[in-house]
Amino acid sequence: MNETSVGPLAWVNGSDAPEKRAINLGFMALSDCASVVVAATQGFAQPYGLTLNLKRQASWANLRDNLVSGELDAAHSLYGLIYAVHLGIGGIAPTDMAVLMGLNQNGQSLNLSQGLQTLGVTGPEALARHVHQSRAKLTFAQTFPTGTHAMWLYYWLASQGIHPLQDVNSVVVPPPQMIAHLQAGRIDGFCVGEPWAASAVQQDLGFTLATSQSIWPDHPEKVLGCTREFVEQYPNTARALVMAIVEASRFIEQSAENRRSTAQLLSAPQYLDTPETCIEPRFTGDYADGLGNRWQDPHALRFHGNGEVNLPYLSDGMWFMTQFRRWGLLREDPDYLDVARQVQRLDVYREAASAVGVAPCGSDMRSSQLLDGKVWDGSDPAGYARSFKLHALSDDAPLLAQR
Amino acid sequence: MLRILLINDTAKKVGRLKAALTEAGFEVIDESGLIIDLPARVETVRPDVILIDTESPGRDVMEQVVLVSRDQPRPIVMFTDEHDPGVMRQAIKSGVSAYIVEGIHAQRLQPILDVAMARFESDQALRAQLHARDQQLAERKRIELAKGLLMKMKDCNEEEAYTLMRRQAMSRQQKLIQVAEQIIAMSELLG
Repeated sequence: MNETSVGPLAWVNGSDAPEKRAINLGFMALSDCASVVVAATQGFAQPYGLTLNLKRQASWANLRDNLVSGELDAAHSLYGLIYAVHLGIGGIAPTDMAVLMGLNQNGQSLNLSQGLQTLGVTGPEALARHVHQSRAKLTFAQTFPTGTHAMWLYYWLASQGIHPLQDVNSVVVPPPQMIAHLQAGRIDGFCVGEPWAASAVQQDLGFTLATSQSIWPDHPEKVLGCTREFVEQYPNTARALVMAIVEASRFIEQSAENRRSTAQLLSAPQYLDTPETCIEPRFTGDYADGLGNRWQDPHALRFHGNGEVNLPYLSDGMWFMTQFRRWGLLREDPDYLDVARQVQRLDVYREAASAVGVAPCGSDMRSSQLLDGKVWDGSDPAGYARSFKLHALSDDAPLLAQR
Repeated sequence: MLRILLINDTAKKVGRLKAALTEAGFEVIDESGLIIDLPARVETVRPDVILIDTESPGRDVMEQVVLVSRDQPRPIVMFTDEHDPGVMRQAIKSGVSAYIVEGIHAQRLQPILDVAMARFESDQALRAQLHARDQQLAERKRIELAKGLLMKMKDCNEEEAYTLMRRQAMSRQQKLIQVAEQIIAMSELLG
C-alpha cells in the first residue's frame, strides 16, 4: 500500500471527502479494462471513501448511452468515443465530456480471416493487391464508428494504399462478438482489443496482420471518461477515482506476478469470461501471430509506465480529432487545441497523480512518429489533418486547386 | 396509475379518506384495518405509496411504520387528528414521509402525495449513501485487521502484506475483502 503523507483517512474525514461515494463504473470485456477492475475489486478505492460498482456493458454504443444518461458515473472508454460525444458526431446531441486519465497504451490489432490466409493474403502487399484486383469488396469490422479501432484500421489500410471508405466495406461489431462473426464468415478482417484477436489466433480462425503499436508505438487507447457535469459536480470524487486507478495501474506493473494474477482475475465470468490462456500471453507481451511468428513485443499493452500512460496529453486527444477531420466525420476544422483543453482534465489528473506519489509530467504535448513516417506533436492539427494522400475531406475542391 | 395501499386505523370515520381519494381520481388497490404484519402485506400488494388514516397514531402503528421502512421501504403518508408535536416527531422518526393533520380535501391530495414521494426519494438516496459509507468503513477495518495478522504470520511489512493478499485474491478471482475474511477466519481457527 502506498500511503500518502496525509494518511488515507484524511481524504475520508476532511474537506477533500468525495461528494459521491458509490460510483457506477462501466467497462467493456477487454484486457485493457484491467486497471479499472483491479481498482474496484482489490481495495484501491476504499481508503479514499469510494465504492466502485463495476457495470459490464454489451457494446460501446450502450456504454456511451449509459454514460451520457448518468446511469454510469464514469467508464473505461475509447478515446474516439468521448470526443465523438463531445463534438456531437454520430447522430447524438453533443454533451460536454471529460477525459480524466489514460488507462492504457498499445495492445490492439488488425487481423485477417483464415480464408484470406488460404488465398495467400498474409502480408500488407498481398492484401493491397487482393483489394485492388478482386471484384468483391472485403468487409472489415471495427468496434465503434469513431472509436480507436476504426482509426487504427483506417490509418493502417491507408498507409498501404487502401482507401478504407472506398476500397473495402466497414462494419461495427462489439468486441466480444467478433469471433462469432468471423466464424460465420461475415467479416474478412477486424480491428479489436485483446483478448479477442488472440482468441481468434488460438482457435485457428485468423491471424494477426499488424499490431496497433506497429502503427504508433505507445499510442493512446482507452481513457477514463465521464461527463464534464460529473467532474464539476463531484470534483473530490473525480480526483479520488483517478488516485485509486493510478495506484491500481502501478500495482499491475509492479512485478511479473502481479501482471499474471491480474490476467487470472480478468478471465473470471463477470469480467472477460475467457480462458486465461487467451489473455495472459499478449497481456505480458508474448505475441504469436498465427503465421508461425512469435515475439516479445517491446510496446505491449501497458497501464502505467511511471505515469506516462496515464497523463491525458492534449496532443493525444487532438490526434483523434485530426483523424475525424481526415475521414470526413468532421466537416470543418474544430478549434483543436481549445476542444482538447476542455476535454482533457490535466488539472484533475496532475492533482491526483501528485497525491499518490506519481510524478506528473510537466508537458501537455508529446511527439510521436507513426508507421508512415509522419510526426505528430500537436503543433499544426489542421495542417496535419490535410497532409494525408488518402482521405475523405468533404471540401476537396480548394485542396485540389492548391496543387 | 399510482398504486395505493390504504390502512384504516380509525373506528369512527371509516371511509373518509377513501371517499376523498375516489373523488380525486385515485384508485385504492388494497384496503384494510391495522394489521400485525404490514411489511408482508406491502410485499404482496407492491403499492407505490401507503396511506394511513388514524385518529391518533399509537405504538402499534409506529411499530408497523418502522418495520415497513426497514424491510419494504415506501413513501408513507399519515392522515390524523393528532396535533401533539411530540407524536408528529415520533411519526417522522419512524419513517413517515408526510404527516397531515385534519382536513382531507380531494384537491389537496395530489400535491400531498407528490411531496411525500419526492421526500421519500431523497431520504432513500441519503440512506443509500450512508449505508455505502458504513460498508466502506467496515470493509476497510476488516482488510486492515487481516493485513495486520498476515504481517505477523509472514513477518513482512505492510506493503508486502497488501501485495500478497491482492495477488491471492486476483489469482482466485476474488475481491480483496473475501481474502481478508479468509485470513481472519483461518487465524481464529488456528488461534
